[in-house]
Amino acid sequence: MTEPELTPTKPATEGLPALEPALPGDIALSDAAGAEIYGEEKGAGLALRAPPGASKLVTLLWMLPGALWLLIFLIAPVIVVLVVSFFTGTITGFKEVFTTSNYSAIFSSSSTYLSTLEGVARNSAIVTAVCLVIGYPVAYFLAVKVKKVQYAFGLFLIALAPFFTSTLIRAEAWVPTMAINGAVNSILKDIGIIHHPLGILLFSNFAVIVALVQLLVLFMVTPIFFQLAALDQSAIEAARDLGASGFRVFMNVTLPLTRAGIMIGCVFVFVLSMGDFATYKLVGGGSVGSIGLNIQNLVSLLNYPQAAAQAAILVVAMAIGVVLLLRFAKLQDQV
Amino acid sequence: MSQQLRERLSKIGLGVWFAAFLVFLYGPVLVMLVLSLQSEKGGSGFPAVGLPSGYWYNYLTGPNSSAIRSAVVVSLVLALIVGVIGGALALSLIMAYRRMSRRTATILLYVVLLALMTPGILLGLGMILWWKLLGLSPSLYPAGLGVHVVWALPFGFLVMLSIFNRYDVAVEEAARDLGASVMQTFTRVTLPIIWGGVFGAALFAFTLSWNEFERTLLVSTTNTLPLEIYGELTSAALQPNLYALGVITTFGTILIVFLMLIAVALMVRRTARTQAAAFQTDEEAVTLAEQARAAPALEGA
Repeated sequence: MTEPELTPTKPATEGLPALEPALPGDIALSDAAGAEIYGEEKGAGLALRAPPGASKLVTLLWMLPGALWLLIFLIAPVIVVLVVSFFTGTITGFKEVFTTSNYSAIFSSSSTYLSTLEGVARNSAIVTAVCLVIGYPVAYFLAVKVKKVQYAFGLFLIALAPFFTSTLIRAEAWVPTMAINGAVNSILKDIGIIHHPLGILLFSNFAVIVALVQLLVLFMVTPIFFQLAALDQSAIEAARDLGASGFRVFMNVTLPLTRAGIMIGCVFVFVLSMGDFATYKLVGGGSVGSIGLNIQNLVSLLNYPQAAAQAAILVVAMAIGVVLLLRFAKLQDQV
Repeated sequence: MSQQLRERLSKIGLGVWFAAFLVFLYGPVLVMLVLSLQSEKGGSGFPAVGLPSGYWYNYLTGPNSSAIRSAVVVSLVLALIVGVIGGALALSLIMAYRRMSRRTATILLYVVLLALMTPGILLGLGMILWWKLLGLSPSLYPAGLGVHVVWALPFGFLVMLSIFNRYDVAVEEAARDLGASVMQTFTRVTLPIIWGGVFGAALFAFTLSWNEFERTLLVSTTNTLPLEIYGELTSAALQPNLYALGVITTFGTILIVFLMLIAVALMVRRTARTQAAAFQTDEEAVTLAEQARAAPALEGA
């Protein structure tokens, strides 16, 4: 009466300690990568081999605390946002009377919500693309060009370290860097490239994009790095032996084999930048709107139903963005 | 151009790209470091005045910074609790995950990923609305604690998953075959092998809670350190004391993370060695059998 044996995720790569799935994305990555590289049934890549004596009661007991916690502090709040978005607003909050006026307010002609959303979506798309362009070569360098696994990992950890510090402080650090009297302006002036400091560097859309790229680029590098590191080198050698040039090997072998990592990175960066709030506030300086800022303002005005409706539409927009991203990837696949 | 030369050039080119990437990542923090070392007359921008001086670091111990110091205490206590709960929940969830049918496991995984992807401001909003519906008023405990653990849990879960990916379940089978109960197998076999992962998950949770801002903003009525920093950033003129604070928290966090990663790496190596030894000799199995026999009181049904 044993469970069907499920295959492990990846071959245990020697010298790669189990640090990797400490990182977001890797889990889904190993899922997709396993399925792709080893031709397994999708999903099998994640399963762990069941321990002996797995009675239902024991499983349930292990599950209970975590499940309750996630139910109370994750699932319920998300559902409540959706529910309250259909409630009627009052001066002190809301009353439980159904209405769609919160949504019609968003779609009315006087509302700036949709143009803000459009701006945030455009920024998020740009940030995602820039992260990919910057991040892929970084991941490629670490995983493929650095021959010693220990060095590759050491360098990767150095790149990863800032991720663990406060996004607030990392966003704040851009202020003295990009301000009129900031580091970039004074360096550019000292080496004679500009004569007057550039004002566009801070409190602008440009600044928001730069700061978001810096905050989120590791969500792109990480899944691609791990997929490249787990890549079966024999496929590349085979292509080489058959006479393909380095560029062709990359385009026809390496890139398609890392598509899952790219997609996971893109989804993470896109979703996280859509919901961003602190960067827009600190680096955008109020000149650039974001839905996160809108929501915070509405909450301080106690207009909860409107805030909930804006949050709900944000989530819908994020979902549409993710679906489009995945579609796009499928399309590439067929070409 | 020969193949070798091209290979070499691409390596150098990518190396330069990586170096530039590190400058991009660390540059702003270094700017903050330089400006935090100014003297009393220093301002928020360049040119830097009176380098180097510890004035703004001393400032943090002075009377003007008492709000910051009490926020540090609030954050520290919260992060410790989140660390303990986060580590424990990551452990119990992975223990359940290992035993689930594949379909349930997939659902759990999606919920964990949802925790990672839900925008912080949305979760904060949901939390205050949910608490209002229940007739409670949101505060740091338990609402703030709750969302902090939710934020930390996916990372801890992924750490545990990586540990179990390199874990050979045969040691548990051996213990069971030799008569150990489910409880004994967990406390005497499983836990000693994987505790490093639990510790890693807890430290992750600590770090993430210590830095958490967006989820706490709407929920908490008490200022955590990030909330205090945010308040000072958005209300008063920027002073180098905040740069000094940023430098301390940044390098402090990096230090913690590195220590943690080293600990986990050592742990993983030990796990592999212990397990390898178990299969090369029968000693381990004998010890387990003796342990199981020595504690009949614990034997469950």
